[in-house]
Amino acid sequence: MINYISYRILQLIPLLIAISIIVFVIIQLPPGDFLTNYIAQLKNAGNDVSESMILNLKMQYGLDKSMYMQYIIWIKNILLHGDFGRSFQYNQPVADVIGPKLTLTLVISVISLIFVWAVAIPIGIYSATHQYSPLDYVFTFIGFIGLAMPGFLIALILIYFVFTQTGVAITGLFSPEFADAPWSMAKVMNMLPRLVIPVIVIGMSGTASLIRVTRGMLLDELSKQYVITARAKGVAENKLLFKYPVRMAINPLISTIGWTLPALISGEAIVAIVLNLQTTGPMLLKALMTQDMYLCGSFLLILSVMTVLGTLLSDILLALVDPRIRFGGVAE
Amino acid sequence: MKSRSKLVSLLLASSLTLGIALAGCENSGGTTPPAAQEAKKDPPKEEAKPAGGGGQAAPAATTPAQITEFKQSPFFNGKNVPTVKDRLPSEYKITNEIPANQMKYEIGTYGGNLRTVTSVVDWDADVFVMNNEPLLNTPGILGDEITGNVLKDYAVSDDQKTFTFHMRKGLKWSDGQPVTTEDVRFTVEDVLNNTELTPIYPVWLRGGGVAEGAPMKLEVVDEYTFKLSFDRPYGGILIRFAIQGWRGYTELIKPAHYLKQFHKKYTPLEKLEPLIKDAGFQPGEWVNLFNDKDITNWELTTKKAIGFPVLYPWIMTKSTENMTTYERNPYYFKVDPAGNQLPYIDTIQSSLVQDIEMVGLKTIAGEVDFSRESAALIKMPLYKENEKNGYKALLASMHVTPTDIFLNQTFDDPNWQKVVQDVRFRKALSLALNRKEIIDTVYYGFAKPGNIEDPTFDLAQANQLLDDMGMKKGPNGKRQTPDGKNFTIPFEVGAQAPDIVPLTQLIVEMWKQLGLDVTMKTIDQKLWNTKRAGNQLQATMIWTHTPLWYMGDWGLDLWGNDWNTWKTSGGKNGKEPPDNVKKLYNLIDQASAAKPDEAKKLIEQVKQEMKDNVYYFIHISDVKQPLIVNAKLHNIPSDAAFAIAANFSGEQFFFGK
Repeated sequence: MINYISYRILQLIPLLIAISIIVFVIIQLPPGDFLTNYIAQLKNAGNDVSESMILNLKMQYGLDKSMYMQYIIWIKNILLHGDFGRSFQYNQPVADVIGPKLTLTLVISVISLIFVWAVAIPIGIYSATHQYSPLDYVFTFIGFIGLAMPGFLIALILIYFVFTQTGVAITGLFSPEFADAPWSMAKVMNMLPRLVIPVIVIGMSGTASLIRVTRGMLLDELSKQYVITARAKGVAENKLLFKYPVRMAINPLISTIGWTLPALISGEAIVAIVLNLQTTGPMLLKALMTQDMYLCGSFLLILSVMTVLGTLLSDILLALVDPRIRFGGVAE
Repeated sequence: MKSRSKLVSLLLASSLTLGIALAGCENSGGTTPPAAQEAKKDPPKEEAKPAGGGGQAAPAATTPAQITEFKQSPFFNGKNVPTVKDRLPSEYKITNEIPANQMKYEIGTYGGNLRTVTSVVDWDADVFVMNNEPLLNTPGILGDEITGNVLKDYAVSDDQKTFTFHMRKGLKWSDGQPVTTEDVRFTVEDVLNNTELTPIYPVWLRGGGVAEGAPMKLEVVDEYTFKLSFDRPYGGILIRFAIQGWRGYTELIKPAHYLKQFHKKYTPLEKLEPLIKDAGFQPGEWVNLFNDKDITNWELTTKKAIGFPVLYPWIMTKSTENMTTYERNPYYFKVDPAGNQLPYIDTIQSSLVQDIEMVGLKTIAGEVDFSRESAALIKMPLYKENEKNGYKALLASMHVTPTDIFLNQTFDDPNWQKVVQDVRFRKALSLALNRKEIIDTVYYGFAKPGNIEDPTFDLAQANQLLDDMGMKKGPNGKRQTPDGKNFTIPFEVGAQAPDIVPLTQLIVEMWKQLGLDVTMKTIDQKLWNTKRAGNQLQATMIWTHTPLWYMGDWGLDLWGNDWNTWKTSGGKNGKEPPDNVKKLYNLIDQASAAKPDEAKKLIEQVKQEMKDNVYYFIHISDVKQPLIVNAKLHNIPSDAAFAIAANFSGEQFFFGK
């Protein structure tokens, strides 16, 4: 097992190097760079941008160096100093830009995840055990709507509905008096009720798909022979259900950790834009659009590392949880 | 021939007026020429000139001593600051931001917090315009008269080569340090003339505002007086100091006492190294450090502006994830005619949202007290519908043309050039623009046909012109070039403003009526910028600053990119333009070097050239722009004013009861 894990970790190194290069190159592929963008913005506003200013900015941002040098400096600083470089837009170190947004993103993501699991798994189990019952149809119907309707659309409809009915514009997680305040209990209490909408909207499609997956998996398991045998031997129905088939049915939760982990910190970009959430999703989108290369490069790199680590983690966990995989591995 | 004789007479007329104006020699608000000449010989009298009162109902401006008692905002009560009299310069400025015919000034009351919204990180155009302070001032940004602002006043020599400026005695930076000619000397000698900090000397500070001119020379007369001299007449420098390009006082006055600690000349490099390292630059890069610490007016809304000494009405005190807070500057130099130190409003809070649509939502929910930049005409019905939420949606004039149409006459395709460089072709296209339809469909009637070019709509005449050119219809029913080659007008537009795409669609249909093959494509704005710079845009749309005569924005790089490159590079790159274009360039250059009253006449000639040659299509003008203001906000100019001028006069706003 230890051999297996260390081998897998060694494998990650070339993979991450390749990812970092690809990320860096792709960001720079579109025409121009951050400065051309910035200068165009100034010109449209009626400013005479002097050539001196352009030169100075180039030097300040290190854009006068070749792409290859830029990459080397970037990677060197990450490895040696843990310094991800500076964000052009924010004029701050990348870590300072991402850091504060990460807390909020994690809070929303974790709550959404718990919401998804707490809602979807019981419903999935119910739907499977009561297949073709009226409630199963109801859940299936809701599930399909959740799957088919994009989150941002639901968010827009909610905003419209709340605004026309109450005159309150949902423009963020805090009421104005708290927007600027440091974190405190009062601020958290202020945020919680406003968190409901984003959590539901973000969790909607996840819930819907997890209901379908759990239901499908469980139906598969329920018709297997071991279930029939156990039932024939008189194992209590609840014990039978939760001890074996349900454990099998929620396997996908573990095998998808590879995607769940980066999803936790990446934030739902479009929903966050619609709901004006200060999470990392819109930040990444804007960084990509303005070619704020160290910000998006570093963030994408972090996401890739999370994905790769998450996949590793899910492999290990699956082996721990599922004896078949564990024994299968040993037999080999 | 007809047009030529007209031109000759125009030239004659303008040269005559030029002579008269030269005899006047002084460029001032309201003084008669002889008096002005006298003033030049007798410096003390100059000070009685545009001390800041301008056209305002404030004759007191000329004799500051009339205001004996100053009042301050309760904001400062209990705060450890000197008395208001000590904070104000002894030569304070009586505010005159908006001409009297555009607004009736009300004496305001102190207090309140003004909320703005932006969707761009570290940039809020509404706050920038409200806070920015130019060296000189032109009320209403009209360019009609130029008065003092940060600088008290100015005098121009007969030959328009030497300019004497007086500073305000007792003016202080926001940290309480005095503002003197030492700050000017530092900016000119240690920043502008330092080839490390300024590798390329700005063209606009060269004689005549042209690349061939020598850099300006500075002579410090005393603590509050300095002279700038140029090697050729440059009356246009005044309007550049006042408004053009939204320049601020930072062009000439930087806080020397603060910046010296980052300048190699005053602080040894060894001492700078730790700072350089902290700022994240490589060893020895003191230039980067200095530029990072030197906050120009364009950077006044960025986080790093906190703590930088400024002269603005509000100073940034806090900037978090989603909100930036500005508080009133205790040392601000403007007062109202009753002696109240401006601004009236104590604080500004600028929230950052993720998307421009969110600005709209916040607006209609009444969570915004002032919004100009993000307000769009197409949303006007929505704004009006929700006015009950405590704001007013006003319409004011727009300082740019809504959107002009450009055909790049130097796009690298001989067939294209041959057709587009023919003035008959451009006239035909102009005749095919149904301006009334454009105004009604895209601008809800809140615009007028452009008056620079002929606004006639006459399809028959347009077709006739194209027939005369020999553009016959080919087998596909579309007009071909006179040589019988296929011809297409391929629009490529970026959606920089909400009207650009619908307007292009409309114009494509109008030009198709002539039997032309016209296509359109919306491209990414960044790609658009790159293509624009590389002479790769064939036909496109964007706004220009044509309504503000002093901006000198004639879209030159869009309708003749190679020619413009030739001009800006002094003939080194690009292609030499034909004579008529050279003549236009010449007029534009002359206008930018001339002092305002002459410049305006030259601009009329430029407009005439535009009319005769239709270099690009300035089809619509006088469009209205929504201005969202809190219903309680006072001192908002009438709808005749530019919206951005109202924005510019933010220190005069106050919340009524």
